[in-house]
Amino acid sequence: MKYRSLFWKIFFCFWLAAAAMIGALNVMLWFSFASDPNPERRRGALGEALNLYAESAVQVYDSEGPQSFEQYVSRSLKEAGTEIALFDGTGKALIAHSSSEVADVAAEIQQTRQHVSHVTALGRLTWGRPVVAPSGRTYIFVSRLRQPYVPRGLPRLGIALSILAAGVISYLLALYLTSPVKKLKSVVQSFAEGNLDARVAPQLGSRRDELADLGREFDRMAERIAALISSQKRLLADISHELRSPLARLTVALELARKNTNGKAMAALDRIEMESERVNTLVGQLLALTRLESGAERVPPEMVVLEDLVQQIVDDANYEAKPQNKEVKVLQLAPCRVRGSSELLRSGIENVIRNAIRYTAEGTAVEVSLGRGDSAVLTVRDHGPGVPESELAHIFEPFYRVGEARERSSGGVGLGLSIADRTVKLHRGSIRAENVGDGLLVTIELPLTPSPATVQPVAEKMPV
Amino acid sequence: MVAVLLIDDDTELSKLLEEYLQSEQFELEAAHDGPSGLEKALANHYAAVILDVMLPGMSGLDVLKQLRQKSSVPVLMLTARGSELDRILGLELGADDYLPKPFNPRELVARLRAILRRASGLGGAAASQPIHLAGVELHPESRSVTCSGKPVNLTGAEFDLLYTFLRTPGKIISREDLTQAALGRPMSPMDRSIDVHVSNLRRKLGSYEGDQERIKAIRGSGYVYLLPGEQP
Repeated sequence: MKYRSLFWKIFFCFWLAAAAMIGALNVMLWFSFASDPNPERRRGALGEALNLYAESAVQVYDSEGPQSFEQYVSRSLKEAGTEIALFDGTGKALIAHSSSEVADVAAEIQQTRQHVSHVTALGRLTWGRPVVAPSGRTYIFVSRLRQPYVPRGLPRLGIALSILAAGVISYLLALYLTSPVKKLKSVVQSFAEGNLDARVAPQLGSRRDELADLGREFDRMAERIAALISSQKRLLADISHELRSPLARLTVALELARKNTNGKAMAALDRIEMESERVNTLVGQLLALTRLESGAERVPPEMVVLEDLVQQIVDDANYEAKPQNKEVKVLQLAPCRVRGSSELLRSGIENVIRNAIRYTAEGTAVEVSLGRGDSAVLTVRDHGPGVPESELAHIFEPFYRVGEARERSSGGVGLGLSIADRTVKLHRGSIRAENVGDGLLVTIELPLTPSPATVQPVAEKMPV
Repeated sequence: MVAVLLIDDDTELSKLLEEYLQSEQFELEAAHDGPSGLEKALANHYAAVILDVMLPGMSGLDVLKQLRQKSSVPVLMLTARGSELDRILGLELGADDYLPKPFNPRELVARLRAILRRASGLGGAAASQPIHLAGVELHPESRSVTCSGKPVNLTGAEFDLLYTFLRTPGKIISREDLTQAALGRPMSPMDRSIDVHVSNLRRKLGSYEGDQERIKAIRGSGYVYLLPGEQP
């Protein structure tokens, strides 16, 4: 899972917010205790108890003497965990004590003649007050509670547990919110890859929220697109069939005419044959281009061994080139695996190479090279007239002609490079043309599949 | 006259072809839909069947599939140009060759003659000798093949292809020569049918132990039939 995904964002935001709230609440509680050290106000019962305690302790000392008092003190230490110290009116300790805290409090009381209470950072309370015994003598009573009087710092375990619980809840919440998004994404992805039957509804279950609505809207859209594409495909198939049936009859009738005229109209018949062949090529290429542009063509996730494909195309192209005293040469063939349709790539690359054969001068060779960098780089270079710089950008447009008369006589219909362009783009690649010395250099770049070592080559299934 | 059956829904084209083929010494009979074509092909004896893949009702591929269950009559398929899938399927289902539509009838006649020549069997005295090679047994007389003792069902073109390979194992044979030998005609530009036949043959024979391929493609040259453990 990616760390920038919606899931982690929701999860961390909720968790952080919950943790911050838990923390803030605890700190506030602690401060409200710690900042108000007056025990009477905070805890009336404790205040009363301490007062009572002070009076009875003083009475014991005053009326029964130090020995009884010591018994009293040790009992109180044992039973209540409270240390007690007693001073006379001048601040002289009447009973030994070890704490400087206690001495400080006693000194303060002697000066102010009032209650004094101290709370240490650890939360222990030292409290004292002046007490006037029934005999009229004044004493200073100080006691020190052994138990922390307010929570010692923050209750760490509790806080950790509640933050953990908040984490679990945030996790479940994030999961609940993002799981339909993930499902939606996988369906959209599959649809985009050409699986026109991909729908969200079966994955949503009984959800009825906005995300489920979004899914249902996607399904409606998918339904519509699938219908459009399939009708387009049908239309293309029909057009292809309807245009080619008369052409098929025409060629047969033409050959019959050839037989029956005994060679008298040969030139005209040859011309008819050539033109009908041209119409046939045009129909084929126009259909191919329309299919590519309409999105009716899907790129299968098939592994294509590009070097084998290029070699096959070059072999075939040489078949065409040799009779024209031209040649197609392979300069370099780096091993390249790309993902896509070998059939479409074949026709795309073939069109570029055929175009180069058409323009390269007689007696020269078209040079084909397949290199490997960040992507597969196929270059096709001819030794022909090149293309004027101002027109370079247009040569991939359908029916764009550079040298009008030249191209017609060379037999092209003006769609080859457009087909190559659309095919390469369908495979997420790029194609560009530039003039180099005495000819045109067309460069095709196709993204490589990640690791060529682990893929299963399908070269042998491909050449069809 | 050689009797040939044409299964094509285009009646006008059928008439024109009938006239043309007549002058080439073929007697063409036409059927215009799949079921009636299949019926005719099974009922009568034809030297060859020309089958259009795009048929209303029952597709040409279905006709071919059913025809092949009962008959080994040579079949020439007419496919829509640009529809590679039909072509592959057709050849896999046992068609002997294909021609994209629209076609030149001269080409049709040439292909028909090639198919018929091949169907009449390979000539020569040496041809009748069975070949045993690395588990594969080929009997030219009965045109039967066994691989590791199990019979292998090959189409006519695949048989001729294997026969060509077995006579020169370890030698690289160009795609042109293989096309000539297996399909009885010269290879035409952009013609990939030999590759389909090779890949079908390879699949039907299976590979040697250790995943070694029997037939290996040599880039830019052709194909070679290898013996176990051999490197091209």
